[in-house]
Amino acid sequence: MTPRPTLRLAILLLGVLHTLILLAGFVAPYDVSSQNRDLTFAPPARIHFIDAHGKIHARPFVYGLKTDAVDPTGYENDPSQIHPLEFFVAGAPYRIAGVIPATGHLFGVRAPGRIFLMGTDAYGRDQFSRFLYGGQISLLAGLLAAAVSLSIAIVVGALAGYYRGWIDEVLMRTGELFVALPWLYLLFAVRAVLPLHIAGWQVFLLLVAVMGLVGWARPARLIRGVVRGAKERNFVLAARGFGASDFYLLGRHILPQASGVILTQLALLIPQYVLAEVTLSFLGLGVSEPTPSWGSLLASLQQYSVLSSYWWMFLPAVLLVPVFLLYYAAANALQERFSSVQL
Amino acid sequence: MKYLSRRLIHAILLLVVISFFSFALLQMAPGDYFDSLRLNPQVSSETVDKIRAQYGLDRPFPVRYGLWLRGALEGDLGYSLASHSAVGPLIGVRARNTLLLSGTATALAWLLALPIGILSAAKRGRTVDRAAELATSALLTVPDLLLFLALLLVAVRTGWFPTGGMTSEANDGSSAWTTFTDIAFHLVLPAFGLALAMLPMLVRHVRSAMVEALEAPFVRAARGHGIPRRRILFRYALPVASNPLIQLLGFSVATMLSTSVIAEIVLSWPGLGALMVESIFARDLYVVVAIVMLSSIFLVAGNLLADLLLVAADPRIRTEE
Amino acid sequence: MGNAGWGRRGFAIAVAIACACVSAAARVSASDLPAPDALISSNAPGHPGGRIVVALRSEPKTLNPVLAQDAASRDVLRCLTADLIDINRATQKTEPALAKSWTVSPDGRQYTLHLRRGLRFSDGQPLDADDVLFSFNLYLDEKIDSPQRDLLVVGGKPVVVRKIDADTVEFSLAQPYAAAERLFDGFAILPRHRLEGPYRSGAFDKAWGIGMSPSDFAGLGPFKLKEYVPGQRIVLDRNPYYWKQDRNGQRLPYVDQVIFLFVASEDAQAIRFQAGDTDLLTHFSSENYAVLEKQQSSRHYHLDDLGAGLEYNFLFFNLNDLSSKALPGIARKQAWFQDVRFRQAVSAAIDRDSLVRLVYGGRAAPLWTQVTPGNKLWIDPAIAHPTRSLDRSRELLKSAGFSWKPDGTLVDARGMGVEFSILTSSSNQQRVKIATLLQDDLKALGINVQVVTLEFHSMVDRLLTSYDYEAAIMGLVSGDADPTSEMNVWMSNGDTHLWHPNQTKPATPWESEIDHLMEQQQVTLDSFKRKRLYDRVQEIVAEDLPVICLVGPDILVGASDRVGNLQPAIMDPYTLWNIDQLYIKQSR
Repeated sequence: MTPRPTLRLAILLLGVLHTLILLAGFVAPYDVSSQNRDLTFAPPARIHFIDAHGKIHARPFVYGLKTDAVDPTGYENDPSQIHPLEFFVAGAPYRIAGVIPATGHLFGVRAPGRIFLMGTDAYGRDQFSRFLYGGQISLLAGLLAAAVSLSIAIVVGALAGYYRGWIDEVLMRTGELFVALPWLYLLFAVRAVLPLHIAGWQVFLLLVAVMGLVGWARPARLIRGVVRGAKERNFVLAARGFGASDFYLLGRHILPQASGVILTQLALLIPQYVLAEVTLSFLGLGVSEPTPSWGSLLASLQQYSVLSSYWWMFLPAVLLVPVFLLYYAAANALQERFSSVQL
Repeated sequence: MKYLSRRLIHAILLLVVISFFSFALLQMAPGDYFDSLRLNPQVSSETVDKIRAQYGLDRPFPVRYGLWLRGALEGDLGYSLASHSAVGPLIGVRARNTLLLSGTATALAWLLALPIGILSAAKRGRTVDRAAELATSALLTVPDLLLFLALLLVAVRTGWFPTGGMTSEANDGSSAWTTFTDIAFHLVLPAFGLALAMLPMLVRHVRSAMVEALEAPFVRAARGHGIPRRRILFRYALPVASNPLIQLLGFSVATMLSTSVIAEIVLSWPGLGALMVESIFARDLYVVVAIVMLSSIFLVAGNLLADLLLVAADPRIRTEE
Repeated sequence: MGNAGWGRRGFAIAVAIACACVSAAARVSASDLPAPDALISSNAPGHPGGRIVVALRSEPKTLNPVLAQDAASRDVLRCLTADLIDINRATQKTEPALAKSWTVSPDGRQYTLHLRRGLRFSDGQPLDADDVLFSFNLYLDEKIDSPQRDLLVVGGKPVVVRKIDADTVEFSLAQPYAAAERLFDGFAILPRHRLEGPYRSGAFDKAWGIGMSPSDFAGLGPFKLKEYVPGQRIVLDRNPYYWKQDRNGQRLPYVDQVIFLFVASEDAQAIRFQAGDTDLLTHFSSENYAVLEKQQSSRHYHLDDLGAGLEYNFLFFNLNDLSSKALPGIARKQAWFQDVRFRQAVSAAIDRDSLVRLVYGGRAAPLWTQVTPGNKLWIDPAIAHPTRSLDRSRELLKSAGFSWKPDGTLVDARGMGVEFSILTSSSNQQRVKIATLLQDDLKALGINVQVVTLEFHSMVDRLLTSYDYEAAIMGLVSGDADPTSEMNVWMSNGDTHLWHPNQTKPATPWESEIDHLMEQQQVTLDSFKRKRLYDRVQEIVAEDLPVICLVGPDILVGASDRVGNLQPAIMDPYTLWNIDQLYIKQSR
């Protein structure tokens, strides 16, 4: 099969995405906690070039918002307030990568204008900014948990599948133990023991690491299954006949057989752990206010009232689809790359 | 046979260890069932302490665990702190209902995932594959709660399906056929929703396994020999791809009791779901342990099934037995 | 021969017919004619027939009134049982129920209740004073440990119940008790003929569990148990022996059946109510109210906002004596918390209007005392309602020795930056929102607040056991509007004196004053004097702020247009308290 250019494209796009999220402070016009209590649940702003009088503006602009005459809970554009969009403006201070202080933002409008690209939430906070900042925590948490899980899973799966016998029994039974136990209580216990003044996001990362530590059992079983099968391949037997050590066999011949499973698991685990935040924040084990995460953004839309009234609250969920698609595409492309290894 | 009996002994040992750690974890989390009584201004703390003592919650952990274990070996799983009744009957009927739902949903999910996954792999890179990928990614990001609320809305707006429960009030159980159709009608929405929720992971694994199998040189050789595509797919590639899929089947069996929780809560299906969530948050300790034990039995059985099937399906593994 | 045979057979037939007539007459008289001492209900007359369907958030755990703790069990039991004196939820005052009248001794310590005569349980067996005596002995029994037992302990001693004659029971209290009449609401009278057996054999705690056989049940409520389908619903049938009738002599209840469906999700309940699956909807959020409101008329239901209920949400600080605990960080911060000016400054900085608007969609009342506007009998209208004023906050903080750094952070007299965490339960979405808004409000003062959400049990552990918290947001809703129901909250030695429970002696002069006032109002029988005493308690709470009251949510109910005689009230159960008077305007 011809190597697809998608791998490069996928990795490029992933890189762009991650950079955008890392630079959330710059790309986002507002910070995560500034509330606009008069503009709660405001719909996304529309960018115009032509105003109400038909005049074309050089700069795109947004209208100011005022309460809707018909439906007092909604908003409508106020044609008398025109706020031009400006680029590279000064705004709320932030820190790049948490270290370097800065105040420049990619775009914004001058106060009292506001630009809400994805609308606002119950406190009038800009959803677009919160989505970008939320990505920082969620992606880091997802990657961390998936990495921890998979690392343990590869080691355990390889050992169990290769050596069989009592090693296999012990490891697999331990895995079953890990899956069966109600870890929720451990999470409660860990959270309860932590001092009150740990930063919210640190609590969260710790909990996610715990989840990752606990979640190795499934991938380990899958890898073990593949290793068992791979062990009996002719070329492995041949290599063994040539005196190859177990370690060499595992690393060079057998584990690459499992690369398909491993990569699929990676592509599935990252979104799975990111989405696990939805449950975590529902249980109060997620990041605490006002720090956003993708999970908490999704959690807030699981209500009938949002389903029927505030459609823009779905935008974070919709935006996650291409993010996960990128991970899948990368995983697929990597798998095809590595499966030039013979079966 | 020896293998089987060995695994069974290990399974029983494992269950005992699981019960011990479950108790331990419950003990570690602060608080117990009667905390809401403590916050009630109309009940004094002496009464709360006496009630706790009545249920043995003031006894040290090893004593409580020992008593429970002895009872469990005789079939007595303790009592629910919430309803003062034995745990066994409480979860028995509900477990059966949950299995009905999750079993149907799992079968449905596999019936959908296999063709979609195989088709995606066979036509990888083409529109069908891309569309399937998009659909499964979208499904993945939809939170379960929202999915089932949407299904409930569908039921309500169209009136085609019942809006909840497992049986209608009008059904008095007189005829087996009417009971069957009544339950089947109630089963459609929750099972369908649950299958949709399970689909993304299954489809991805099926596709991935099939792609790997289809890249193999012997498949290329077979194609070179002019063997028709469908035969290659099903007689050559699928058996090779079955290794991880069998594991997944084992996982499906293993999680039978817990996947349907949200479906049951939103669509009022009378399974373990609502009871499980309530008991876990309320710390109704013996109910939680009993549910964990029941889930563990499924877990162990699922994995054992997968291992046995693996041996049966993959001759290379058989040779080393 | 033929004639004689016919004669004997004829006589037998005649006797059989006569017996049938007599027994038919007896059945007719038992279920269609009213009982001798029936209560004549004052509601507008309705017509019989139909059924009411209601959703419950969780399943009832037991049908044993002595042991029931959870809301679902109590909701169902209210339909199945009756008590001696009822609290009318609409007027919030007491009225006769199973007891048709009562007298109080001059010293206020003896209550003699006269039962209605000729009443029967739902299985046809008669009610008499022995059943009352038996029931109260169950509630008082120390081996059974009913959660309701403490209500019957007055002045440190349990109430003594004595049977005077078949229709009269006497209750003796150790001290005069102003709210004595209200005590009786919620104590269901149980059938001795059914429960004495299990009680004597020591199996009472297993009796009348949720799986009980319907034929074992006997109660005095408007309905009796018909069927329980686990996980799905519980069905109640009309009680043919119910002791209330309307003005036209029609025996209540009007409806034939009540069905409680178990729908665990609030959103699912709202959707199903909208679809017409259920007739009544309660305990839902203002967001769902807004959604349901949009489609009212097209869907044949109507919504009611009844105004503020009895629930009050508040912020409080850890004022415990931490000398025996190893919590130096918190102990140091208590220097701020214990200064009343600090608490007053925090209260002045809170934007209560935003809380009402953003958390409850406008459907709530801002609060400055623990008594909500919904509690019309007890609220002190003279309490000031100051609006948010950051200037006043800053003045108070300055006078307490605080100052501001150039970047705006608040520091205390020793130069330490003022920051603390607010604890709240993750299962209550509204309180988490309140905490987030408070966090932002206090930022304006330069105070850095961290919101910590814990799951419920972990939070209770910190509040009542380890005292490892700094500030917390909680809410309380007492079962009754009467202040005596909250004694344990306001008495300094109370278990639920949240900010500093179980004091051996009052820690502050104002807590000492509250102790005196609460004890006095408990025994003062003059309602005017009681009101003034409790007004003073409210003033002290508003001034010294052991709790900073924030907001009291409105009671929201929804009802199908088919249901008549609805009188939704702000006391639980909001719509079902007069279920015996509800009727269906057109029968199904």
